[in-house]
Amino acid sequence: MTGPHPNLTPSVIFGLGFLYLILFCMNVAWTVRSYKKDGEVHLPSLLGGGHAPFALWWGLYSALLSMVTFAHFTGSGNPDQFLISLPDFIKAPIDALVADPRLFFGITLLIFIGIIVFRRRLATPTAGWILLNAALLFLILSMTDYDFRQIVGKPDNVPIVAMLFIVGFFTWLYFNRANENDERAAKGLPPKESENNEKILVWPDLVYSELICMIALTAFLFFWGVCLQAPLEEPASSVKTPNPSKAPWYFLGLQEMLVYYDPWLAGVVFPSVILGGLMALPYIDFNKKGNGYYTFNERKFAVSVFLFGFLPLWVGMIILGTFLRGPNWNTFGIYEFWDVHKLEALNNINLSEYFWGGFGMALPTNPLIREVPGIMLTLAYLVFMPQLLAATVFRTFAYRMGFLRYMVFSNLVLLMAALPIKMVLRWSLQLKYIVAIPEYFFNI
Amino acid sequence: MADKPSTEDILKKIRQQSAAESGAAESGAAESGAAESGAAESGAAEKPADDAPASAETSEAPAAEEKAVPSKPAAKAAPKGTADILASIRAKGGGAGVAESGASADAPADKPKPVAAPKGTDSILASIRSQGTKAGDTGAGDAPKAPVAKKAAAAVPAGDLPPVSEMLQQMKAGKQSGVTAKPAPAKPQLRIPTKPAKAAAQPETRRNFLVAMIATPFALAWALLGTISGVWLLAIARFMFPNVLVEPPSRFKIGPASDYPPESVSTKWTAARGVWIVHTTQYNGKDLIYALLSVCTHLGCTPSWLEGEQKFKCPCHGSGFYKNGINFEGPAPRPLERVGLSVAADGMLEVDKSVKFQEEKGQWEDSKSFVDAALV
Repeated sequence: MTGPHPNLTPSVIFGLGFLYLILFCMNVAWTVRSYKKDGEVHLPSLLGGGHAPFALWWGLYSALLSMVTFAHFTGSGNPDQFLISLPDFIKAPIDALVADPRLFFGITLLIFIGIIVFRRRLATPTAGWILLNAALLFLILSMTDYDFRQIVGKPDNVPIVAMLFIVGFFTWLYFNRANENDERAAKGLPPKESENNEKILVWPDLVYSELICMIALTAFLFFWGVCLQAPLEEPASSVKTPNPSKAPWYFLGLQEMLVYYDPWLAGVVFPSVILGGLMALPYIDFNKKGNGYYTFNERKFAVSVFLFGFLPLWVGMIILGTFLRGPNWNTFGIYEFWDVHKLEALNNINLSEYFWGGFGMALPTNPLIREVPGIMLTLAYLVFMPQLLAATVFRTFAYRMGFLRYMVFSNLVLLMAALPIKMVLRWSLQLKYIVAIPEYFFNI
Repeated sequence: MADKPSTEDILKKIRQQSAAESGAAESGAAESGAAESGAAESGAAEKPADDAPASAETSEAPAAEEKAVPSKPAAKAAPKGTADILASIRAKGGGAGVAESGASADAPADKPKPVAAPKGTDSILASIRSQGTKAGDTGAGDAPKAPVAKKAAAAVPAGDLPPVSEMLQQMKAGKQSGVTAKPAPAKPQLRIPTKPAKAAAQPETRRNFLVAMIATPFALAWALLGTISGVWLLAIARFMFPNVLVEPPSRFKIGPASDYPPESVSTKWTAARGVWIVHTTQYNGKDLIYALLSVCTHLGCTPSWLEGEQKFKCPCHGSGFYKNGINFEGPAPRPLERVGLSVAADGMLEVDKSVKFQEEKGQWEDSKSFVDAALV
């Protein structure tokens, strides 16, 4: 078992023991909170029936964690015999799921839809705590895998792991607050924010809290900078590119976009549209509700569209780029070894080749004639789709926004949808470019 | 030009004139015999007497007075409060008799409404504009209510003096005629002879002076800025032509053709020079040796040659190229580029990186882009 890439070593087991210890402490605190707030539950007859505080479950779970912690601290001497690790029969299916970008994208979409559909159940404190525990347990257990440690433990990627938890927390927070206000609105009450709006002073109240936050954050950055070494590499060379070569984590969404689109689109047009579009949102929005308080029911469309662009398309692509893209930009499972020679069939074909080949004809030599089908499709998408949408799903929007605002809005939506559309086309039809005119560096 | 008067001189003269006018106004009021209104008028006239634009106002006063005296409402027709005075000043703007004559015409006729004077901004503006050419006419046209109006209109231009700002404007515009025409019939003494003289002698030089005062520093500053930024631009452009290029020459020899066996890709020169030497029959069936530039056609990363898979694979976005350089997977839109390859006089192969050959443009047919292995 102890090869060059051992899954478990004494130091790993000992370190994971500390993570379990932290988790244990967190859950002890939560048990106390639960005892004070959660009330009682009916025990199943197996446990003798009757009533018991809900905190009993958390107490039992904490006790289990304490035992696991103890096992890690005492059993680190013999990694080969150590049992608490992720078994291969769990790793294999997870790898198979995430290593395929199609399935990965499908999963992120399902999670996104699940968040919205089950928001009432998921955005309660207890559900949030269970989700946090599940995520942390998954992370700690996965750390028993060598390849997973290599990816997650890279100094580059540590902040991304932290970011995922932060994104999860703030999404939960939003839905928690929005649910509360939506319930109040259903009862005819004003939003909670309008109740507790006593003004406080900038000086000293706000400035002091800002000062404390500033000091704490600076201290944290110092701590981080000391603990994790900067991931510096060899001197740069124009004839040698690291493999894989990754953008900074916040640009991994753009880098993923570059796999499907030409550089001028994915590197110039789409980023500009994202920035411009976000700036245009307040002018497009005609819904006056939800101003200054959390709500979901009053802004269903706006929140859903934004979260779709943010969670599956932006954060999802960052996860894909960080944890799943390996050498040669192939996708790898999270527990998979990064094999430089992993073979993925990616033979891609342009739309024009499909089109003229379908008629059994040779490609026309004039690039403009050759790309007629793609050009027509693109124009139809950008010119006729807004009209079609206005006549069907966006009827009220088109009416309330007026022509200009509606055109801006519908084009933003269409451009946002262009990314998943092209991804799906690439994965399903091996479609390389819809319009491919490399002669003039123009590809879509 | 010895008689070039300074700005101060001009202002002094204008002040003198207005003082004379206000005196005239007072005397006019006294003559009319309407004590209260006269007092009010003179008070109004005296206050702004040393203020140039006020001269227009005051000059009007007696004219109105003369007509308004007979009836009681005259007192009301004449401006009483500051607001009225201001209103009439505004209404007169260009120094027209319109407003005043309108008021005087209105007053005796029906209501003692001092506001009746300015008929509306439109009419005022119109009258001011037309005043530029003919003051009397419009005044009469605007106040046709009573027969008095005509008299007033005829009389008004006499006391009519445009505000200094307008006079200056006209002088600048070189329209002395307008200025002379207006004040000509009225308050005569110094004005008629002096003004036109000044106006005729002066505007050119003063304008030049002003232009010089204002324009010179700007022109200097812009010229300086332009020169400096031009020099900077040139200096920056100079960086495009370095004295010494710290990079390998674009032409270099890579040894005899026998170093590159058939169906092989040599990475010998990739790290140092950024080219692969490919010897293959896979492009068009002929046995060719050529040099591929190790730059991905998607975004410019350096692909790696994977011997096992017999392909070039880019680590940035996963583009893949066959051994012959043709793109087949990932986002790269076109084949890798060839650089020049030839046989030197000593029988060695020589790469020329200063020229590039793109397959999609049909440049791979160029004989400079490959060496026929059969001939070497």
